[in-house]
Amino acid sequence: MKSKYLFPNKWKKIGIMILVPGIILFLLNTFLNFEIKGLEINVFSLLNPETDSNVKGNFVWLNDNLTNEIAMILFIIGGILTAFSKEKNEDEFISKIRLDSLVWATYINYILLILSVIFFYGTPFLVIINLNMFTILVLFILRFNFILFQGSKKINNEKFN
Amino acid sequence: MRNSIKVERAIKNLTQEELAEKVGVSRQTINAIELNKYIPSSVLAIKIARFFKKPVEDIFILEKND
Repeated sequence: MKSKYLFPNKWKKIGIMILVPGIILFLLNTFLNFEIKGLEINVFSLLNPETDSNVKGNFVWLNDNLTNEIAMILFIIGGILTAFSKEKNEDEFISKIRLDSLVWATYINYILLILSVIFFYGTPFLVIINLNMFTILVLFILRFNFILFQGSKKINNEKFN
Repeated sequence: MRNSIKVERAIKNLTQEELAEKVGVSRQTINAIELNKYIPSSVLAIKIARFFKKPVEDIFILEKND
């Protein structure tokens, strides 16, 4: 059983190396408003309601610091590579754990979102939405690797009978 | 479905890892099959049976609720 949609095994390490700085930068930016200086450039904005900035109208150029854009892209690319690179010995059982974990992560993700819809309003809800973009990937990575780790631990104690 | 892989392995004096290598899967897979947590594909079941030089049904046994 071979999946067509997985990356080669060695990309997982690259993924982790992209994901970790992505998460750190994203959290610093989201919760401490950290921005890397000198990243202000003119960007093309498709939709720009007048309340957003002093530049009005759609399809306009405006000045923006790219820190959060970079953080999000690193987070997504790193997360995808970490989640969907083959294991060293990807086989049918690991594919099953992969599928189960993906279903599990999707359920938990949307349960958390429903709870957030009920219990958060206004700006805090926007922060939740911002975080919710990544929870499905993070939940999947944690669950999938936890199950794999559990499986390998049991085997270390394995003896005949 | 239950199976007698553990017994067959003991007869041949093989670890889970060695068997996994011989049939081309991960150690976790053999472990999960032995614990009846995972039912292998027919391809893998046949590979395992061939490795032990026995018919598939000697190693993988259907149970009442299957």
